Amino acid sequence: MTPRHMPIEAAQSLRYMTLLNTSRSLVGLTPKPEDCKDIARMIMELAVYEKMPDQVKISHKELERDGFGPNPFYQCLVAEVPEDHKSKDGHTKVGYALFFYTYSTWKGRTVYMEDLYVMPEYRGKGIGKALMATVAKVAKEQHCVRLQFSVLDWNKPSLDFYLAKGAEDLTAKEGWHFLRFHGIALDNLALEAP
Amino acid sequence: MALFNLRKAEPKDVPDILRLIKELAKYEEMEDQVILTEKDLLEDGFGDHPFYHCVVADVPTEHQKVEGYSVIGFAMYYFTYDPWIGKLLYLEDFYVMKEYRGFGIGSEILKTLSDTAVKNRCSSMHFIVAESNKASIDFYKRRGASDLSLQEGWRLFRIDKENLLKMSAEE
Repeated sequence: MTPRHMPIEAAQSLRYMTLLNTSRSLVGLTPKPEDCKDIARMIMELAVYEKMPDQVKISHKELERDGFGPNPFYQCLVAEVPEDHKSKDGHTKVGYALFFYTYSTWKGRTVYMEDLYVMPEYRGKGIGKALMATVAKVAKEQHCVRLQFSVLDWNKPSLDFYLAKGAEDLTAKEGWHFLRFHGIALDNLALEAP
Repeated sequence: MALFNLRKAEPKDVPDILRLIKELAKYEEMEDQVILTEKDLLEDGFGDHPFYHCVVADVPTEHQKVEGYSVIGFAMYYFTYDPWIGKLLYLEDFYVMKEYRGFGIGSEILKTLSDTAVKNRCSSMHFIVAESNKASIDFYKRRGASDLSLQEGWRLFRIDKENLLKMSAEE
């Protein structure tokens, strides 16, 4: 998934964030499984923007099942604004960053940022920047030595945003390509397992 | 008797896993980049919160081609998440010692991992390969893998520790 970049301007409306599925919260709010409904809504908004809404196969139910409990498969930061700043559709949860821990056999613990998104009417206020800085902070607290993510080659605003923050394009620099076994290809491979 | 045995890694395998990690890094011409230690691997793989899972291939003593080594291949993986389709299995490292290639050990490891993926409700198995590594790319494509960097234009990015610290101080 492409982390979305929004233009950077001085942070204003961001009041607090909740860190889901950990026992601590960043500014005194308790994370709730019902936040998953808002996350699912924003995931769909991002998919619509990318013209691929039919590719979204999971709902808030899977997000709740997979993000909470003793073995969460992802972590999520939610950017929330106060009631008096709510969106025209009445939402106070206006952005998110979804990430998880991965492992490098060379360097050790890494954070992989899967999604970064801010609703269009809240862009330009530094929310995207703040979300990413908080992911970096969590990474640092968990002794992670780096942050990785992927960007589509046509997404110039995002590419510029990340390069300005010191990101390196490893596909260009070192020739790394993403491969996958998906759907039937995966099933066929598994059928041959001893 | 089977030529080799595939099993879940145990804490005692950590020295062999690190040895194989360094051999793979050498093959990728980046041996000096490995800063991980046995202590890190033990804590991160077998502690309260495992950051990775590992399968190893070992051979019985009478089949050893290289003196002293019974663990001759490994694969390291972990579970990741796609907000559109849910759980994925991510293959981080996959290596068989040179002397043991061509016997189907790599194929068996890959099949075992795909079976693990399916049993854990993963829709997909992802990994990265350097474009110069033609042998590996062909191995995966022969088995049905697709190259998402070519097909969809995905590029991998990284922010290292120094810049991560700068960003975390900006909040």
